[in-house]
This record gives sequence, C-alpha cells and structure tokens, in this order.
Amino acid sequence: MNNEDILLRIGSGLRQLFGGVLPSPDAVDIAMYFVALVACVALIFTNAVILILAERKVAGFMQSRYGPNRLGPYGMFQTVADVIKLLTKEDYRPHGVDKWVWAMAPVILFVPPVMVYAIIPFGKEAVPVDLNIGIFYFIAISSVATIAFLMAGWGSNNKYSLIGGMRAVAQMVSYEIPLVFSILGVVMLTGSLQTSVIVEKQAGVWFILLQPVAFIIYLIAAAAETNRMPFDIVEGESEIIAGPFTEYSGMRWAIFFLAEYASLFAVSAIATTLFLGGWHGPAFLPGWIWFMGKTYVMIFLFMWVRWTFPRLRVDQLMSFCWKFLIPVSLANILVTGISIFAYRAIGG
Amino acid sequence: MYGKGLLIGLGITLREFFRKKATEKYPEVRPKLSERFRGGKLALDPDKCIACSLCALSCPNSSIRIVTTKDEAGKRKLAEYEHDTGACMYCNLCIESCPQKCIQWDKKFDFAGYSRKHLVSDCIAAARLKKTGDVSQEGTKNEQ
Repeated sequence: MNNEDILLRIGSGLRQLFGGVLPSPDAVDIAMYFVALVACVALIFTNAVILILAERKVAGFMQSRYGPNRLGPYGMFQTVADVIKLLTKEDYRPHGVDKWVWAMAPVILFVPPVMVYAIIPFGKEAVPVDLNIGIFYFIAISSVATIAFLMAGWGSNNKYSLIGGMRAVAQMVSYEIPLVFSILGVVMLTGSLQTSVIVEKQAGVWFILLQPVAFIIYLIAAAAETNRMPFDIVEGESEIIAGPFTEYSGMRWAIFFLAEYASLFAVSAIATTLFLGGWHGPAFLPGWIWFMGKTYVMIFLFMWVRWTFPRLRVDQLMSFCWKFLIPVSLANILVTGISIFAYRAIGG
Repeated sequence: MYGKGLLIGLGITLREFFRKKATEKYPEVRPKLSERFRGGKLALDPDKCIACSLCALSCPNSSIRIVTTKDEAGKRKLAEYEHDTGACMYCNLCIESCPQKCIQWDKKFDFAGYSRKHLVSDCIAAARLKKTGDVSQEGTKNEQ
C-alpha cells in the first residue's frame, strides 16, 4: 500500500462527497477551502495545547526539573486544565482602555498565523492553497501581526503596554528585513515563490546544506519575529511587566498565547519547507509525518534557544539586526548569486 | 571565536535536558533524608527511658513536657512525655543530652494539622502504637 497520500485520499474522498451534493464545481472548491480552513484551525488549537505543555516540559527538563506532572500521566492534561481555568475567569476590562482597539487586538493577532497555514505544504500536493507567490504571501501576512501588538499596547492605556507595543513595532519591522533576505537565497536557488515547488526542488539536496548561513539568519530573525526569547523585549517581565499583554486576562490573554504558538508552528513549518526538505524523507513513513517531525524538531530548537539565553537589551537587539544580520544576509545573497552564475557558466 | 559562548550555553542546557532531574515527584516519591536529618517528632523508647528529665531541661524552648511518678519501689517512672513540635526548633540538644539514647527523630516531617493542638505529640502513645504494629496513625510512606 502506498501510504504516501492518505491526506490526498481524504481530500479526493471529500471532493467526491461534495460533488454528489453540491451543484457546481466552484461550490465544491469553496467547500474544500472551507474544510482546509477548519482543518488548519483545528491543527492550531490542538498544537497549542501540545506545544504549551511541551514548552513547560522542555523548560523544566533544561532546569533539572520535571515540569508539569500532576495532572494525568506526565502532566498531559495540564494545559486542558489551564484552558478551563482561563475560560471560566471573569472577562475583565480595565477602566480607561480604548474599548474596541483593546478588544480587537488579540483577535487580529490571531489572524495572520491562521492565514499563513494556507500555504504550508503538509505533504505532496497537500497544500491548503498552493499560491504561486506563497512565500511572498507569508512575508506579507506575517508583517500584519505588528499592528496587533501596537493596538494592544496603545489600547490598554498603560505606559508599560505602550512601551511594549512600540518595542514590538521596532523589533518586528527591523527583523523582517533579514528574514526576507534569508528567504531570498532559497528563492534565488529555486526561482519560484511557490512552496510546493520549493519543496519539490529539495528532492536531492536540502537547502540547509546549500544555504547554511541563510538558515541561521532565518532562525534568529524568526525567533525575533515571534517575540520569543532571547528577543522577547516586547514582554520583558523585569522591565515592562508583560508589555502589551499587561491589561489582558482570562481568555483574551489566552488568545495571545494561542497566537504565539500558532506563529511558532508557522515559522517552524516555513523553515522546514524552505531549508529542511519539507515532506521529503525515507519512504517508510508518509510525507506528512516527515513534515510534522521536522517541524517539531525546529520547534524544539526554538524552545532550546529560548530556555538557554537571557534577554537582549533593546539597543543590543537593534544593533545586532542592523549592523550584523542585515550585512551578513546581503553578503549571503551576493555569494548565492555569484555561485549560481558560476555554476551556470561552468555547467551550462 | 564569535558566538562560542552561545554554543557552550546550548550544550549545557542540552546536557541538563537529558540528565537526572534534581527535583523529586514529592508525595509519590519520598525524599531520601540524610543520616543527620533533624525533623518530625521525637520517637521515644519508654522502656529505656529513666525519666531523668535531662531532655526537658536542656530544651531551650521548653518544648518537652515530662511528668514523672514513683513506682512501689520508690523509683522514678515516666508518666507523660509530650513533645510540642510547634515550639521545637530542632536544635538536637535533647537527643544529645539523653544518657540512655532513648529519643531520636522519627523523620516523618509531614504532620501539618488544623490547630496548635495537633502539633503536640504524645510520645508514649506513639511508641505504644508503633509497638503494636499499628503505624497508620502517623505520617507513613503509605499514607498517600
């Protein structure tokens, strides 16, 4: 049995099912997109539950602790209990907040990661929406998250929130540049922005071998983009309480968390797509398992870094980006271009 | 080399990740207490005790209360022996002063109660319970 296309088989089965019920092929397409959306949102929610537990476990293990271990085997139901607790908390709105801006911020922050899932190639031909400008779309969408941070910071009517929001803008706008430049190296090699094509071209050699510098730059910039340690000056507890999240509680606060883990998975999945060969792997396992496995390895890498390094200062963060990462990423593009040119000149 | 410290740091955390954990899963796994651990209540051996009251006298906080009587032969005998753990500061002076070595720590440190009365332990009754084999009253390994 070729277990490679379980996702495809489910897809074609659903297509046939809808084809029997719905009147036109367009309606079937729309229904399929809806199914993909629901699947992505379900993935995000289950993933957040798993990743929050994983993060706490990794944190514990790296600090010579066990981490959560009270509820269920290995503390498996800890996150579930936390979610129930957060859901039952009072929906408290502090005085003086900008009502709509404040209330909309967590929702808007949650939207970009969900949209990014549309272009993630989970398996061969298993991309929710296979855009021909997929990577460009990812870059464009992930920038939108900046606005949500600023909204939360501004709407909270709290000086720490505002400082945090401003830091978020400065950090995310700056680190977008090395992120894009590091992706550009891969795009130059493939000549395509389509995620499925990029993975297809890595059948022989993964791009982490051809673009190691770009991979490291991507890692650093992605950690900064998702506001994770050591770049979490946005919510540096010792300086500005929790930054833009200070005035939120209960489920609104949980949505911020959900968005953080959704975007963590998204950037890890994009890293897998761009550098780690996507769904490619030895044939004894189906492609989507390889993809998820590599993505979780990437997530572990992010957690590992988070629980190892201390927080950077704001000025260090900025000078590291502008004085180090951007020149290096530009040099990487130059070297890549020259190499491609030389390769063509020699090999034809 | 630039960034060498970062790699060393990552190595340390990864080693820590796979190493045996320093913390214990406490109520299920009981901690291994050292030989000289001081804690819990006083475990008295009433048969060995000569009711000399040296332990009560040596206690800086007067946390030991002894009542003695005399038997038919006129010999001093232990009637009551109470250890108020709420007043005890676990200085070990009572144990060191005992000429018969008949008191020691029972090392059962988890005996929280709802009032101060619960902190006072009747050592003779505890010793009797221990002798009859019924140890379930005190905090034991099987209590959880």
